Amino acid sequence: MNAVDPHLPIAIGRIGRDGRLIDAEARLADLNTRAGGKRGEPLAVPPIASIARLAQRLGIAISRGVVAADGEDDLDLWVRAEPDDDGVRIEVSGWRPRTAWRATAPDALREADFLRAEADWLWETDAAMRITHLSIEAGVRHGFDAGAMLGQPVTLLFALEADDQGALPMLSAAAGQSRFDGQVAELRGTGTRVRLSASPRIDAQGRFAGFTGAATMLEPEPEATSGGAPSSDTGFTAEFGQRLDRALRSPLSRIIANADSISAQVDGPLRDDYAEYASDIASAGRHLLSLVDDLADLSAVEREDFVTEAEPIDLADLARRAAGLLAVRASEAQVTIDKPSADEALPVTGEFRRVLQILVNLIGNAVRYSPPGGMVWVRLERGHDAAGAALGIVIVADQGKGIAAEDQVKIFEKFGRVDPTEPGGSGLGLYIARRLARAMGGDITVDSAPGAGARFVLTLPARTER
Amino acid sequence: MSDRTVDISEGVRGDAGTPIAHAAAADGASRRALAASIDDFFLDDAGRLDEQTRAALDRLLRALVETVEAAVRGHAVRLLRVQGEAALAQALAATPPPLGRLLQAGLLRDAALMAELIGRVRQELLAAQMPAQASDDPDRPSLLNRFVQHPDRLLAQGAMAVLVAESRRHGTPSAGPLSRTDLPAELHHRLVWWVAAALRDPSAGTALDRALADSAQRSLAAYDEGDRLEAAVMRLAVAIDASQDELAEHLGEALGDRRVTLFAGLLAHALGVGYAAARDITLEPDGARLWTALRALEFDRPAIARIGVALCEADPRRDVERFADELDTIMALDPAQAREAIGPLRLPADFRDAIAALEGRA
Repeated sequence: MNAVDPHLPIAIGRIGRDGRLIDAEARLADLNTRAGGKRGEPLAVPPIASIARLAQRLGIAISRGVVAADGEDDLDLWVRAEPDDDGVRIEVSGWRPRTAWRATAPDALREADFLRAEADWLWETDAAMRITHLSIEAGVRHGFDAGAMLGQPVTLLFALEADDQGALPMLSAAAGQSRFDGQVAELRGTGTRVRLSASPRIDAQGRFAGFTGAATMLEPEPEATSGGAPSSDTGFTAEFGQRLDRALRSPLSRIIANADSISAQVDGPLRDDYAEYASDIASAGRHLLSLVDDLADLSAVEREDFVTEAEPIDLADLARRAAGLLAVRASEAQVTIDKPSADEALPVTGEFRRVLQILVNLIGNAVRYSPPGGMVWVRLERGHDAAGAALGIVIVADQGKGIAAEDQVKIFEKFGRVDPTEPGGSGLGLYIARRLARAMGGDITVDSAPGAGARFVLTLPARTER
Repeated sequence: MSDRTVDISEGVRGDAGTPIAHAAAADGASRRALAASIDDFFLDDAGRLDEQTRAALDRLLRALVETVEAAVRGHAVRLLRVQGEAALAQALAATPPPLGRLLQAGLLRDAALMAELIGRVRQELLAAQMPAQASDDPDRPSLLNRFVQHPDRLLAQGAMAVLVAESRRHGTPSAGPLSRTDLPAELHHRLVWWVAAALRDPSAGTALDRALADSAQRSLAAYDEGDRLEAAVMRLAVAIDASQDELAEHLGEALGDRRVTLFAGLLAHALGVGYAAARDITLEPDGARLWTALRALEFDRPAIARIGVALCEADPRRDVERFADELDTIMALDPAQAREAIGPLRLPADFRDAIAALEGRA
């Protein structure tokens, strides 16, 4: 009579017309006992009792997922209550303990939003794996007849490819009623390949009701000899960076803007502690946004074909601009930035916005780690590398707590942070800054000792003025 | 460790004269804001939109205006270029989006348009929140997919048309123009002329007006309301022409498959009313007209209970306990009386609107 997942234990119980428990299988009886009930008395687990009562009043079977307290724990249960002449028969399955915290049950709208953010187009099937929804425009764009595929088995549209283990993720997921990701398939007959991911829709009896899925177009496989292989072994592709950027940037900007306007009380007065929460939300949002920036940069600098522009720039001018951008933050932190004077110039070759990004990063760090009343020095020098080529040099020095010798390598590593408990920062800034500097033919080095502040040195190829 | 969230705002702008003018205007604005707040506070809760519906309605309204705008403006610009009116074409291309003017003029407060849009948005949200219901047989395809396989070509094609129209509607982008407005012809007509009017520049002379009018007429001529999802659903409902037993099963299954449009279409055909009327009684949280309609169709208690529970699960405005309280009263309703009660719904919508207007209820 039912198709509840066979892996989930089912406990059956029976309740009389008066709502009293007549009998129950061990698991359900134990749950009821722990909740303070016993046979012959009303069922003591409120969510199950209310489903049973509703089923009896309406005279139809009711199925729902509920959360029931069991001592200190919460259990996820599927409850089905079916009325008959003698009362109500209940079936309870699921019996999965809930983790300490998790978001409310995934809701279809939110799942679809997530899928939409990461997908080129969307599809849905019913339980029999026939297509029920398909982006019509996707068909036009990618050369298949979306209209003709509706109502057809999903495998008529997608020729599924086995993964490394020889399995078909989509079919394994259908059997296990779980999410899947990374099912590669060919759009049958087009030669175009896609990567599929989907979440199952589960009905109130815990039964599989179909997939809600997304498709991402895959680039044609590069020729083995062309050398255009994926950029790095990190699995962090440019494509992923772009998707992340697209998926996160606008919601984060919205969160920050709204939280800022709440905190500024633009819509009217607000209790101070609420305004402060809103300001916390805004600053956490800014932190996340800067992390998104970093990750987007990371995916750019790690591409093998990443290049920077070779523009004639003035390092002195850029150092002054970077110091200017950070003036507000420095004054809030009661730190003074001693920047190059307006008449200094230091012609070098590099990309304007990338060099500015590096300098904002270096000076920003120096401000952050300076004690109140401290000073950050930004100095210019000229020098030569080991081969004798002329270099333009910027030195950013602070009076912070310094960096121990063994940590000086770590700070340039990806996600390398000396003190992970310290707030702020993704551990990517210096990694990205150094990659950028090296891409422009320069470098960033550090010298420092604990308690003696830190000196970061940015070098770029000098430009001889003609 | 990078943190590039520096303040790059341009600081205070404007000259010294503006603060005085600004202060004077602010007084008026503050009074209007207070009036709006008072109105808002005393609004009757019954008809208020929740935030989700309001946001979806806003998105839909914008998208529809943008859809019409893109077509009307785009073609008019091309016409003007062909006619050698390069300056006019450029000016038209640079005209601000018409949405602001339409909102300001209050044209979009049109009752028929808003009734359609609110109905459409609520119908989509209801479908999105409808809990899935799998069949007892895991290999049995969903209702529409079974009709697609039906040997009767009329049924198969009808079901296919619904799947296509629903996929098109369902795949709505989160912003920007749609592939079509999918509005009833009268409303599409009205919107096209409004947008054309909002794009005109009274000082530009008749060449611009002529181009806008030609472009609008082209857009109207190309529009076929028979392609609408609602029209496709009605054609399918007519083709199915379900018997009473089948109907109860199909309606339950349509909700289980989260096809609210199919539910409304099947109901409309069975009752002999228009799609919009069936959709509206399906969406009413109070449900009284829906229960009456189902009694008029002589549905039994379990069938009404199943539909009621499915709707309560999907619509937070409904209360399943209250529905359970009412079920006996609903079942006590005599089908003949119920048919009499829903009789007015079978009258043409325009006639019903006219009656309501005459009685001062419009």
